[in-house]
Amino acid sequence: MTTLLQTLINGLLYGGILSIAAVGFSLIFGVMNVINLTHGIFVVGGAYGALIAWSVLGIDPLLSIPPLMLIAFAVGWILQRAVIQPAVERGNPVAALLVTFGFTLVALNLLTVFFSSSVRSISPSYSFINLRLGEVSFDLVRLIAFGCGLALIAILGSFMRFSRWGRIIRATALSELGARLCGVDARGVYAVTFAVGSAFAAASGVLIGMMLPFTPAEEVTWTVYAFIVVTLGGVGSLGGAMLGGVLLGLVSALTQTYLGGVFTNMVMFLILLGTLLLRPNGILGSAFKASR
Amino acid sequence: MNRNLLIILAALVLIALAATLPFFLKAFYIRVGLSIFLSAGFAVCWWMLAGFTAYYSFGHTAFVGVGAFAAALALRGVADAGLVLQLTVALIAGLGVAGGIAAAIAWPILRLRGHYFTIAMLAVALVLGEAVSAFPVFGGSAGLSLPNLAPMSVRVEAFFYWLALGLLALVMAIAWAISRSRLGYGLAAIREDEDAAQMLGVPTTRFKAIAFVLSGGLTGALGAVYALNLGYITTDSVFRGSLSLEMIVNSLVGGMGSLLGPVIGAAVMTAVTKLLLADLLEYHLAITGVLIVAVVLVAPDGIAGLWRRRTRR
Repeated sequence: MTTLLQTLINGLLYGGILSIAAVGFSLIFGVMNVINLTHGIFVVGGAYGALIAWSVLGIDPLLSIPPLMLIAFAVGWILQRAVIQPAVERGNPVAALLVTFGFTLVALNLLTVFFSSSVRSISPSYSFINLRLGEVSFDLVRLIAFGCGLALIAILGSFMRFSRWGRIIRATALSELGARLCGVDARGVYAVTFAVGSAFAAASGVLIGMMLPFTPAEEVTWTVYAFIVVTLGGVGSLGGAMLGGVLLGLVSALTQTYLGGVFTNMVMFLILLGTLLLRPNGILGSAFKASR
Repeated sequence: MNRNLLIILAALVLIALAATLPFFLKAFYIRVGLSIFLSAGFAVCWWMLAGFTAYYSFGHTAFVGVGAFAAALALRGVADAGLVLQLTVALIAGLGVAGGIAAAIAWPILRLRGHYFTIAMLAVALVLGEAVSAFPVFGGSAGLSLPNLAPMSVRVEAFFYWLALGLLALVMAIAWAISRSRLGYGLAAIREDEDAAQMLGVPTTRFKAIAFVLSGGLTGALGAVYALNLGYITTDSVFRGSLSLEMIVNSLVGGMGSLLGPVIGAAVMTAVTKLLLADLLEYHLAITGVLIVAVVLVAPDGIAGLWRRRTRR
């Protein structure tokens, strides 16, 4: 019983991280209909940014989130304006996907050259504290990361729901033509969307860097996990990303405990495949971007 | 009819010329040629699905891996047989098992369109890769080794050069035959507008499935050759996301519009990475990345497209 409870709690905490790591991807996929392969690079980039801030400047990783988000916002904005938007306008469905892949190769190469491919980790003073509640134990870092993740999702959610920019982004996602007829600068909206998505990817990277060791090549994993979470929960909805992340976290923890570590990825990928075949829009998927 | 005959003759002359090259070249250049043929073969197989129907698979490495492991396991069964028989068994195992898996998943997975098909193929590749590394039959993380099938009298790299050249020619011939057939026109109709094609009586499901199984099976056969050439395979070396991406990148760089596109793309990309960037190993990835972005932005129809645009003017 305790094992089950502990597993569920671990899964829930991990799922929260998977959720926050997927919201940026979900936003970009839902609004722009672009599969953003740079996602993982922004996640890993956030982790390395926090590593520099912590080891060189002595800044606590949590405090480095806002400035890193600003930097990622700027990089994402420029990237979208300079490279991705022109590719989207070519009309070829994979052109945009390919340029994001090209950028990923460049960024991955630079990260590897600057930081080497060895495993790094961020461990602030509170990273080894373990809380106990009866028979169940929590890592303090995971709890903090979970809380920060929820707070970030809440911020993004209220931005999308209540702010003027959020309304404009949602309108453009529903109908680019309609939005443009109302005077919306659709290209500007896409640039902001991509920048916001990148900023949240970087923020999640800081949280991940506090919990898990990382390497530049890890970016593939985070892009793929974002894929799975978003497809499972539903493209373009924050609730979907949260639900998908938590479900995936639980599945991953349960498989690890009861089937063995070798099978966790396989089960996760099978779930992705099953969702796609049975319900391509995901559990909470909105109908406005159907499966084509 | 005359034009078809001309194309066939030109192709035969080109193949004959390419086949004589190993007699003049150094081993290193033969190996470059071999990797050009292999990646061109993979790209053409991928293009057989994507170029005709615009179903962009992101997980064709699944078929490479399945073909490679099927060949490795099948060769265990005929360890004492002659070289020709062993080679035939390896190729048929790759073709058959990869084609069989493609046939098994064709119906559910081809119901998905656009990005969803793309992601689902990625998932297929990931599931198969994880399954292969999870079960000990496939050697686990240690992998499997394959016997060297090159005859004593022939240099190893030249043997695989000819083998890859032959398979590439076969794959291109099949793709070319499809493009002139009823099937090819049906697939082109699916690419332009699937619903309209269905309405006009094109058996879309069957046609898509045929293209998918051919594409997967031939990728598997090439995967068997790829594995034989490596001599030793692990999950990481044959179920590799970058293999899927190379097929896509090569096809797009060369141009999706014609059968020659994937071949040109594979030749250019392989030559650039193996010859020009051989001394810049550290920045190899970055330069490849910049090249991909540049091609997509400057030459959206690929290199073949650039040429066609010039001649049309």
